[in-house]
Amino acid sequence: MKLSYIIREGIIGIKRSRMPFMISVFSVTIALLVVGLGVLAVDNSLQFLGEFQADYDLEIFLENEATAYQKHELAAIVKDYPGIFRMDYLSKEDAAALYNAEFGEDVLSLLDDNPLPSSFRITFEEDHRSADYILSFIQNMNELDGVDEVIFKKDLFNRVQGIMQLVYTVATITLFLIILSTVFLTASNLRLMILARYEFIETVRLLGASDFLVKAPFFLEGGILGFLGASLSVLLIILAEYGIKYYIHLDLPVKIMDHPELILGLILFGVSLSSLGVLKAVRKMLRFVA
Amino acid sequence: MIRFENVFLRYDTGISLRDLDFTIDKDEFVYLYGDSGSGKSSILKMIYMDLFPNTGTVDVLGSDSSNIKRRDIAKIRQRIGMVFQDFYLLSDRDIYSNIALPLELQGIKADVVRSKVTLKADQLGIRSRLSHYPHELSAGEQQRVALARAMVNAPDILLADEPIAHLDEKAAAEVLKYIWEIHEAGTSVIFATHNKSLIKKDPARVMTLVSGEVVKDRQL
Repeated sequence: MKLSYIIREGIIGIKRSRMPFMISVFSVTIALLVVGLGVLAVDNSLQFLGEFQADYDLEIFLENEATAYQKHELAAIVKDYPGIFRMDYLSKEDAAALYNAEFGEDVLSLLDDNPLPSSFRITFEEDHRSADYILSFIQNMNELDGVDEVIFKKDLFNRVQGIMQLVYTVATITLFLIILSTVFLTASNLRLMILARYEFIETVRLLGASDFLVKAPFFLEGGILGFLGASLSVLLIILAEYGIKYYIHLDLPVKIMDHPELILGLILFGVSLSSLGVLKAVRKMLRFVA
Repeated sequence: MIRFENVFLRYDTGISLRDLDFTIDKDEFVYLYGDSGSGKSSILKMIYMDLFPNTGTVDVLGSDSSNIKRRDIAKIRQRIGMVFQDFYLLSDRDIYSNIALPLELQGIKADVVRSKVTLKADQLGIRSRLSHYPHELSAGEQQRVALARAMVNAPDILLADEPIAHLDEKAAAEVLKYIWEIHEAGTSVIFATHNKSLIKKDPARVMTLVSGEVVKDRQL
């Protein structure tokens, strides 16, 4: 079976060029470690920034005279409004309890009547979270009966949104550049690894090996190399997360184990980067071999 | 079996082969004789389809150089054994693995490979060296390993490019003896050499090359 030749040669190839193989695994590990940490750093930064924003984007205060029917109608309108991610109703009693929790005083003991209005707290979906959209929402709400006032901290909202956008753009460009340099560095490293096997490639071609039979064991070797490199990088990221937790006492909100798609992505990226990189290097060499 | 028809080969530095027109039949032993640069190696490279003529055609074992595909070249090479003055042995593999390689490339079963390799090693007197590495062998032994590897899958043709050029007299005589035995067992041999004494004593066809041209073709 030629398949057994391919598998055996792939494994023998690794054994025979242990040092260049280990160096290549190490370079893939470092490259993917940078990519993986980059993705997690961006995710965590966005998460931290998101926490700067309030739990809700705006608050609609209702008139004291608003009837239960009006409140019910308003709740239905707000709930059906496009782009609403979450709506919480706070009754006058809830507002008094919050006041009590925040300032340590019972508003009812200070005044005879509860002056705090009932309200709706609104959170928008991510893709509807723009100041323009929210301002038009406020305009529409102000026209409704029963609505007293809509409070929206536009400046804070805009500042955090701006920073998040900047972080996202810079991170995307940086990650793209990292991935690009990863591809080039890994490819040139793999080329060196293949160059060291020139003697073997030239000899098997002379002995009647087809191009496929020359390439296949290297393709397998590249796949194993990429898998090992990527797995090692995932392991190092997990260790780094534990290190941050136990030595810096910072519990990151986004961890790699919570994102199996990122682990799978890194492994697939590593395997395809290495196997295709090796294949390209062998194909290039075959142009110069008899 | 091998036919060169009006073959010209031009390198950037000038013409290498000119107007080659000859046939080599099955079971022939042919010496390609000439000084270095006369075109002997170029002819061998054209036979194993490493080089292609600029004009004319080379037909090897029924495949024509003018329309052969890359994957078919591999198939032709499986029917041609090759030995070179530099042996081309894989330095990181033992002698057994070196000899077994052509069979493994063809997907032959391990037990068949083992018996064929052992038989060939026996015939060439290198059985005791199978677990050694090339650098542990003398030049003569290394060339016998190369011969064993070339012959292990019983090719139709053996190409030998100055195979005894780097050997001492005794080792050269041994290798030569084995090549003649291979020929007598039914393999065509094309042997490139610049050694005049060799062509004088051996009963073989001799094609003499000067500056890429066959100036004499001494038939038996």
